[in-house]
Amino acid sequence: MTNKKIIDEIGILTLENPPQNYLTRPDFIPVAELAEWIDHNHLKALVITGSGRHFSGGANLDSIFALVENGKEIENQIEKGKDLLDYIQDLDIPVVAAISGVCFGGGLEVALACHIRICSDTSLFAFPETNYNLVPGLGGIYRLDERVSLKDSLKMILGGDMINAEEALSLKIVDTVLQNEDPLEYTLNFLRKITEGRQLKVINFVMQALKNARRLPVEESMREETRMFCDLARIEWTRRKKENY
Amino acid sequence: MSMKQSLNSISFNITDGIGHIELIRPPANLMTSEFFTEFNDLVDDLRASKGLNAIIISSRGRHFSTGADLEELLEMVASEGEKTDKVKENDLMTISERNYRSFLFFEQTEIPVIAAIRGVCLGSAFELALFCHFRFCAEDAIFGLPEATYNLIPGLGGIRETVSLCGQAKTLELILRGNTFGAEEALQNHLVDRIVPKRKVVEFSMGFARKIMKNYKKQKVSLYLQQIALNDPFFN
Repeated sequence: MTNKKIIDEIGILTLENPPQNYLTRPDFIPVAELAEWIDHNHLKALVITGSGRHFSGGANLDSIFALVENGKEIENQIEKGKDLLDYIQDLDIPVVAAISGVCFGGGLEVALACHIRICSDTSLFAFPETNYNLVPGLGGIYRLDERVSLKDSLKMILGGDMINAEEALSLKIVDTVLQNEDPLEYTLNFLRKITEGRQLKVINFVMQALKNARRLPVEESMREETRMFCDLARIEWTRRKKENY
Repeated sequence: MSMKQSLNSISFNITDGIGHIELIRPPANLMTSEFFTEFNDLVDDLRASKGLNAIIISSRGRHFSTGADLEELLEMVASEGEKTDKVKENDLMTISERNYRSFLFFEQTEIPVIAAIRGVCLGSAFELALFCHFRFCAEDAIFGLPEATYNLIPGLGGIRETVSLCGQAKTLELILRGNTFGAEEALQNHLVDRIVPKRKVVEFSMGFARKIMKNYKKQKVSLYLQQIALNDPFFN
């Protein structure tokens, strides 16, 4: 249900279940497999996108009810799905969701776990779960709440309203809306621009610093930033010394 | 407050209760270890001082500053290996910690702090400006955090400050790419608050300080910024 490709040290993970790219399992790729792929190939960035016209319509009800029939299997799989999204969010390389078409439910939860969201102007976003007497189950409620006001969270989650790309931009759910440009191409160009010639360690440290800025008290996050700077200065000094010999 | 004499890299003057810090090593106003020593001492004095109503940071000459002295930093790393624990207070981490604590003072102080920027403002100099409550710049200002192009990262809080002003996506782009950008782009990304004619940056900053310092509430910075954005007649 996913397809992996690498261009210029950038990994492209495509949700592959067209036309709507429904997620048949919450952990659409096992964490271990994704981690192995990223580490083994020393990827500098990751793009998550959908095959064809849509990003993802999320889970479909039939596959959820099939899991319920199976007793505890739904809990197990939802946990795995949450672990996967936590892993993606915690990655020390930039992760960008390149979105076109529908980005609903579980698909939107995947997109919200990415660091940056870039979408086409015809994209649509929604958490339709409550229309089916369910709620978003992969941490989407919390990730949405971190970005938008309580009022807008409630409107989207309880109202189940669909919003378009412009509205998503004004709510800061997406970072960029593209007019007549392919989201994947644009994303790849953007990532090439910021990773080309950069050492993986520099990328990792910038990502860690961004994480720290969100999670740590100011003094601590600054100390960490300085510590990472000093580490890099030592590496750079050693490199230059070797070059001079 | 008392002032230390014979500073080489910075000057400090008080006019009408407004403290004016000036970088005085043009054209580059490079932030050398001498600069940081003088700067940290000045900040210690400022911490202890009472009666100041505002602080303005600007530079002599055409440029704000090109930032830290990279060669000097790398030499500091080079000499670390030769040191015993007793002289550890001179290692890069310890020195850098002292530097960012000084930067943080400007963010945390209750009086308004304004960076008045002309010309080039790069690396650690831009980090310093980011810790100020307000940034006013000339049309010709050029900004950037080029550390990544030297296989480094901004090390004095610049990543944290940038992300709080312009969000994760833009921050990643600015820092990983390490490119320079002009006043307009800085304004669009909320990294500066107002573009001012080049000869009037300091004057404008002084006028602004006088205007807001009496009832200044740091928590209300966003309100002052709205006023600035709305082209309040005073600010023209």
